[in-house]
Amino acid sequence: MTARTEAELRQALRAWVRAHSPVPVGDGFSDDTPLIASGHLTSLQVTDLLLFVEELRQSPLDPASLRPGAFRDVDAIYATFLS
Amino acid sequence: MSGRPPIAAPGLAWAANGQATLSGPLLALAERLDRRFAGLGGRWGAEELRFPTFIAAAELERIDWFRSFPQLATFPVSLHADEANLARFTAGEPVTGDGRVQLAELAPVRDVLTPAACYHLYAHHRGRAFDGPRWFTTRATCFRREDHYEPLERQWSFTMREVVCMGTAAEAAAFLDEAAALVDELAAPLGLDLEWEPATDPFFRPSRNPQYLMQRVDPTKHELVFDGRLALASRNLHHDHFGRAFAIERDGRPAHTACVAFGVERWLAALVRRFGPEPSAWPEVGP
Repeated sequence: MTARTEAELRQALRAWVRAHSPVPVGDGFSDDTPLIASGHLTSLQVTDLLLFVEELRQSPLDPASLRPGAFRDVDAIYATFLS
Repeated sequence: MSGRPPIAAPGLAWAANGQATLSGPLLALAERLDRRFAGLGGRWGAEELRFPTFIAAAELERIDWFRSFPQLATFPVSLHADEANLARFTAGEPVTGDGRVQLAELAPVRDVLTPAACYHLYAHHRGRAFDGPRWFTTRATCFRREDHYEPLERQWSFTMREVVCMGTAAEAAAFLDEAAALVDELAAPLGLDLEWEPATDPFFRPSRNPQYLMQRVDPTKHELVFDGRLALASRNLHHDHFGRAFAIERDGRPAHTACVAFGVERWLAALVRRFGPEPSAWPEVGP
């Protein structure tokens, strides 16, 4: 499989949020929009997001290694798991 | 096991089933501590409620408590009231020589012994709609099954005092910030080695529990830890988790909630560890 570029990975994360957010995702949504504080990510979606990030990085994540802020926004997810 | 010798102090009687009996100066200290903790709610005019020992299992099912913490649950059970069943129970040896009850058929179990004091508050206010922030305090004997017990530090039954806010997200967050500062003020004169640390709840199979994952990436629980190992209190931001589960509203939207919780016996443990078992050496904690 061809490795995805940073732009493609960020685009995939934004698309995932738009598809799964329990609250409407407005036009102002960007890579530094807080996901949890804005209600786009709750405990109902967090497991699916974890699985999606594993799929993007093509390797498993140890939940015990998750750190505060790791899912803060798209920027943080990319920097923590995909860069 | 901790490797430290178990706490021994006048006024502490320890039972092998993980429960403590308090008397004398140690009991008086526990009562004074609890008054200080409850008094913290006075900042907001918190309403005090006192709840029964059991809580309906159906209430905790609303928050998926049994799948999250099955290892902690303690259930009140009773024998099925059928006379033949009771006769079978009495005809045998009700309690064996090693203290095991030989139960006959059981009646349906619909309750659980209170695992955390604040759950009662959410169940009690289920379906309520508030037009302003509300604050409550309650004290409960709580029950948590553990794989080992230590006097005052890890008990099957223990005393929990909580102060709870129900309001908007901003009101709950403001309450928690101020409550943490008040706890620091309360604790500072006691001379204990304490630090607030991010924490997670003891979920069963945590890596598969979305609430655990959420607590990892967005810490909403902090514990006031004594001596680097023993949580004496916690502050918890629940977002709208309980508001949604119990249909509690603030201005037409699910209420956000937050709480500070104190484990009374653990404060006794910290004071006895730090200052020894003699009451004359204990710091003043209030009337």
